[in-house]
Amino acid sequence: MSDDKDETQQRLKAAIHFTVGRLCQKTGEDHQRGFSRQAVAAIAETAFRQCDVFAKDLEAFARHAKRSTVTSEDVKLIARRSTALSIHIQNKTEELNQEKKSTGKRKSRDTEEESKE
Amino acid sequence: MAEKNEDIGFKKDTVSKLLSSFFKEDKTRMSGDAALLMAEMLKVFVREAAVRSQKQAASEDCDQVDIEHFEKILPQLLMDF
Repeated sequence: MSDDKDETQQRLKAAIHFTVGRLCQKTGEDHQRGFSRQAVAAIAETAFRQCDVFAKDLEAFARHAKRSTVTSEDVKLIARRSTALSIHIQNKTEELNQEKKSTGKRKSRDTEEESKE
Repeated sequence: MAEKNEDIGFKKDTVSKLLSSFFKEDKTRMSGDAALLMAEMLKVFVREAAVRSQKQAASEDCDQVDIEHFEKILPQLLMDF
């Protein structure tokens, strides 16, 4: 049973490593300076470990608010240390809400048309 | 397909599964929005790591960003997050 968990973690690590590699490649291209394989691996490992920290914090915030589901409010708290980061996350949250509103309008229009038929 | 900076990112499912694997309690789960926002957080984290490492390499007149450049900026990066 614990082997399954390890396998999942390995796959997740690999997925993280892949995207980190692509992000590093893009940054390298933008500044004409490539990243060594070791550097990419180190950044990926750090990102993976940082997720553990994030996850524990998110869980604690949700529990403090007497919820068992982590929401965007909890993520906003995670971003509190840097003002720029806070603002960035706030903007993203509003973007997501805007998208939901426009999708919601489309859905209700569809159901109206269905009932007419 | 031209790859813009905005296109590269972490998948919502990957982030959700990854964070969930670190939760201490089974009943804790993530909302869809939270997963999307955390994917963004992670992307910013990695981008900061990459850009700061690159700047460190530049300040040392190095052609390539090596692990030692990343190690030098890591403490401040962790404090800033």
